[in-house]
Amino acid sequence: MNERDDMTTDTEFAQQARQLFDDSVEGLDAATCSRLNRGRQAALAELNTGRRVWVQWAPAAGVAAAAVFAVVLWTGSQPADEFTPQASATDFEILLAEDSLEMLEDLEFYSWIDFDDETGATLQPEDKVG
Amino acid sequence: MSACVAEFAVSCESGNRTGVRTLQREQELNRFLTGVEKRALRIAEIAVRDRDEALDLVQVAMIKLVQKYADRSDDEWAPLFYRILQNGVRDWHRRQAVRNKVMVWFGRSGDDDKDYDVVASAPDPAGRTPDEQLQSHEAMQTLEIAVGELPGRQREAFMLRTFEGLDVAGTAAAMGCSQGSVKTHYSRAVHSLRDTLGEHWQ
Repeated sequence: MNERDDMTTDTEFAQQARQLFDDSVEGLDAATCSRLNRGRQAALAELNTGRRVWVQWAPAAGVAAAAVFAVVLWTGSQPADEFTPQASATDFEILLAEDSLEMLEDLEFYSWIDFDDETGATLQPEDKVG
Repeated sequence: MSACVAEFAVSCESGNRTGVRTLQREQELNRFLTGVEKRALRIAEIAVRDRDEALDLVQVAMIKLVQKYADRSDDEWAPLFYRILQNGVRDWHRRQAVRNKVMVWFGRSGDDDKDYDVVASAPDPAGRTPDEQLQSHEAMQTLEIAVGELPGRQREAFMLRTFEGLDVAGTAAAMGCSQGSVKTHYSRAVHSLRDTLGEHWQ
């Protein structure tokens, strides 16, 4: 038997086997088909379970997202306090400036300048003016 | 407030679209599983020689397919489903081997294969004479036994290619091996079966 005949025989064999198998599938009894049907429904219920969880939480998630969005919008529309960040930035600049360090070194001298010999009190800023 | 309402409306609409998509997917899955379940049962039954076990294996495969691969395209389902089923069959054989060893150790035979009655489990084909039914039963019984005695990979390749009708690529995907391996396993299986079945099939 050459290779081509062998392949033909293989194909015929497979067709015959397939036919027998198809017959056995078609002849499955009702009880077995019913169990298969129940199994399929149980499997598909898994899909529904997943969907139900999503549907159940969808409105809550929507409301939560809307609330977060509203809070972000409300916060964004508030007038910005222009001084607070600038003040903190200024403090930082003062602390880092070299002059302030020099002033700290001569703190005693500046205290002496501010001291009023007559009253014995420290001069207020308005006293110095004029 | 209007932003909240709009957001909620968009959310609901999106939920509805998702629901419709899921419903369509469910119908497609139902069609696929309906078309494949009987053949899958017979394939599993030939592999494990027990209808109840085969039913369990098929149900587990259906559940896993739905849980993990429902979002895949339809043409991927068949190889994926049979891959899950074949993995289940292999696990079942492993468990049986361990169980048999334990039973032998306790002095009992764990080989339940003798309880399997192929004739009792064989289906009743409709629309044929009793003689034809008997012939078909006998032929299928012989084939089932011969297929059941094939090495695991050859049995998988033969059943997926011949019984389920998967192509070489689909069978390779289901078996988790190369297409060349599928061809080799299938060819060996057919030759082995022809040798075993002899003149009944000439």
